[in-house]
This record gives sequence, structure tokens and C-alpha cells, in this order.
Amino acid sequence: MALLSEQDRQAVRGHLADLTHQVTLLFFTQTIGGPETAQIAKQILNELAGLSDKITIEEVNFILERDRAATYGVDRIPAIVVLRDVEDTRIRFFGAPSGYEFMSLIEAIILAGGDDSGLMPESKELIAGVTNPIDLQVFVTPT
Amino acid sequence: MAFESPHIRAACVEATEFMDLTRKFRVTGVPKTIVNGTGEILGAVPEDAFVREVVNQ
Repeated sequence: MALLSEQDRQAVRGHLADLTHQVTLLFFTQTIGGPETAQIAKQILNELAGLSDKITIEEVNFILERDRAATYGVDRIPAIVVLRDVEDTRIRFFGAPSGYEFMSLIEAIILAGGDDSGLMPESKELIAGVTNPIDLQVFVTPT
Repeated sequence: MAFESPHIRAACVEATEFMDLTRKFRVTGVPKTIVNGTGEILGAVPEDAFVREVVNQ
């Protein structure tokens, strides 16, 4: 059964209509013994991929491709790494992107596939001054 | 913010799926943002305040 309703699909298609760059979602998972949420994540991503030809899903085996997981700082699954063309956007999702996290994923795709962060000029100026690494972990729940 | 700076990484973590992290960072409400493993920003803070807090951590 589809997780997205026809109404959801149409709304998401509209949101994704203006992507100018190819967005690749690296989906880290495992084929045997993975968490149940990895299956949900996989289904959501597959449904999402069908809504825009600018979105590609690439499944990466977390167990067999440890080096690749380490490269992207993925230490748990399910995880999604957002790429703009082939470049890392440094945006990650840990856990199944359902509920509110689904909208956050759509926003991240729009960001990665577009040309502007949409932040205020003052914010951009402050961020441009950052020289040390900053690691943000935003905890959310599906509802 | 990650889009704007090569020095910034941003992860969205589903709190109920990763109880080890939820416990470690004492997440009792969402959204809660952890900066460099120590700093905390609680709730949905307006953009200007959020950016200032993050860059000043």
C-alpha cells in the first residue's frame, strides 16, 4: 500500500517542480536484520523518487560499505545523505522520514536542488563568518 | 545553514528511533538542537536568534 496519498503526491510534485539541480539521496540501510523503520524509509524514498525526475535514490549497504558510511559521518541507520549534483550538502536525516520529518526532507530537497537558502541577509552574513566546524543535531518526532 | 557554509553540518534526528541519543542529550521536548555535542537550543526559535546562538556557541 502507498504511504503517500494521491493528494500528497500532487502537493509534493508541485513543491518539487522548480528544482534546478539534480538531487541524490544516499540511503544507508542494510538488507538483513535492519530496523523496521529502514523499510518504511525505503518505501517513502521510492515513492518520492517517482515524483520528480530531478531526484535519484541511491541505496548504500551500511554493513558492506563501511568506508562510505564513515566518509559521510553515517554511524546509524536508516540514514539519508542529501547530495546536490554529486556534492555533499552536509544535510543528513536519521530515522524514517515520516510525519513532520517528511516535510523537512522535502524542504531539504528543495534547498539542495535550488539556488538560495532563503535565509535573511543578516543570517547569511553571520554564517559567512564561521570558520570552525559546527555540527548541528536537530531532534524531532514524527507527530 | 549547512547550505550557506562548508563548515556547517546539519542532521535531523528522529528522537523516538534513537533512544541512545535522546537519552545522551536529555531530549525531553522537540525540536531540540544540539550544537557540537554540547550546546542546546530548545524549541522552534526565530531565525535571527537561532543563527546568532549557533554561531556564538
